[in-house]
Amino acid sequence: MLWLPLAALVLWTMGPFLISLSVSFKQPAMVFADPGLIPDEPTLDAYIRVLERPGFQKALWNSIVIGFGSLFITLLVGVPAAYAFARFRFRGRHLLLLFSLLPMLAPKVGLMFPLFLLSVELGAFDSRLFLIFVFTGMLLPLAVWLLVGFFQAIPRELEEAAAVDGATQFATIRTVIMPLAIPALITVAVLAFREAWNEFELVLALTQTADSRTLPYELFLMQDATGIADFPIQNAFALLTIVPLVLVYLRIERYVAEGLLSGAVK
Amino acid sequence: MAEGDPSTDAASATRIVGWQHPWIGYLSSAPAMIIVAVVLAFPVVFAAWQSLFDLSPLQDETPFIGFGNYIDVFSEQTFWSSLGRTAIFVFGVIVLGLTLSIIFAFALNRVVSGLRFIRGLAILPYIVSSVAAALMFRTMFNNEFGFPNQILEMLGFGAIPWLSDGTYAMIVVIFAQVWTDLPLALLFILGGLQTIDKQLTEAALVDGATGLRSAIYISLPLIAPQITLATVWLSFKAVTSLGTVLALTGGGPGDSTQLLTLEMVRLGFDEYETGTAMALVIIIFVLNAALTVSYLGLQRKFGTK
Repeated sequence: MLWLPLAALVLWTMGPFLISLSVSFKQPAMVFADPGLIPDEPTLDAYIRVLERPGFQKALWNSIVIGFGSLFITLLVGVPAAYAFARFRFRGRHLLLLFSLLPMLAPKVGLMFPLFLLSVELGAFDSRLFLIFVFTGMLLPLAVWLLVGFFQAIPRELEEAAAVDGATQFATIRTVIMPLAIPALITVAVLAFREAWNEFELVLALTQTADSRTLPYELFLMQDATGIADFPIQNAFALLTIVPLVLVYLRIERYVAEGLLSGAVK
Repeated sequence: MAEGDPSTDAASATRIVGWQHPWIGYLSSAPAMIIVAVVLAFPVVFAAWQSLFDLSPLQDETPFIGFGNYIDVFSEQTFWSSLGRTAIFVFGVIVLGLTLSIIFAFALNRVVSGLRFIRGLAILPYIVSSVAAALMFRTMFNNEFGFPNQILEMLGFGAIPWLSDGTYAMIVVIFAQVWTDLPLALLFILGGLQTIDKQLTEAALVDGATGLRSAIYISLPLIAPQITLATVWLSFKAVTSLGTVLALTGGGPGDSTQLLTLEMVRLGFDEYETGTAMALVIIIFVLNAALTVSYLGLQRKFGTK
């Protein structure tokens, strides 16, 4: 009896992908004339048309810059904070940790207007740098939470042994802690990149021109621009934005699943 | 979350390691705190404050009007109808999302190691953006060539006007929302199932309980906390959902999928009613918090002691 829910799970998850894939290999007119899952005359035409679009190229570049920027700053800022919360003793640290975790509950839709007004006030409207800043803030609570848990799980004796051997604290962190923390760092890096890569609502609120627009917004605009007719190009676009993440994800699925789980079970 | 007693842990650390000054703790956490404060905490406070003023870019004065914006919102018929649609939407997402995630989690929990890859597949929607997911569902539920209609016609039924009929459009939107948010709900429940002592369920089987009965009477009560967590997650995502609905139906056909969040965007970005939009932001916050508290209350009342 186990196969039935498992088959349903695979169908539920993969169905939309497979249909999208199928449509993306058809000519626009053939979508209606040949509705079967396997195209009669498969073609890469839609993909070529997406790749040739200036809008796609620009948005792809923006997504890459903003994705890696957010990833880098999240780690740069999140790791020291998490290490401090996990290891250092300073007045009010519990309160500060709570303060950095609590905003996780703030829904994105509620941030759209205030951040839009803030960006206008700062002259940062429609800038990639501001988007990186915002996405970093969006992911920091989760990043700090995951990293604090991870640093606390590393036995203190390791650091004490290194200290006894005469290593400075900085050398201990660099040579003892960081190598051990790599799975957690990868998890946080992927989550930060995903946040920036997939975010739509805040890009909608904070950008105006193609100079800072990322892929989801560009896809959204293209849906409007192409009307009902061109399903292949839209699906090809969607799949092209998903593929890079899937490739990364397949290599590290275990870390991500377990990293997210560890937060839920504790 | 913390293991052991943090104060003695930290004391032993400062005894051994070099950096004892308290400022090092503040210094290393300050950048993160500042970014979180600006990006997440400030907007909430700012929205709450701004919602008390009569804001509009077309006028010079922005007088303080107390709860005037809230009264404006509550006196609008469009608010109540979009609140009603949001209620239907959230309820649908929770019912479908919980049903699927519980069934799928039970199956995944008993999967043999050779099929472990299915868990990886199940998480895939987590990495798809809301716009891409909406587009996939728009393709899948197309009235003419969509697969659900092909299957219906094959079985001899008539085609269903999925996206051009209000009721069906709401169903499609609920499906798309659940599809994107199921992975985490599923992981929460799977994580709960994996903490259950196998001896418990095996003992029940020895005593003659069927697999289904042992699942319902033994496993489900034990994972009540994780089911609550999944409910909170699904509800939070549904109450605050914007991208999926905007890209899938844009609130249509007519205004049949015009949720509170879309109403907020319409007021703020299309009609420049900034103060009223801010009031709606706060209403969505409060609604979300109230729902979360009530799920936790329900669990306390009916969950395992």
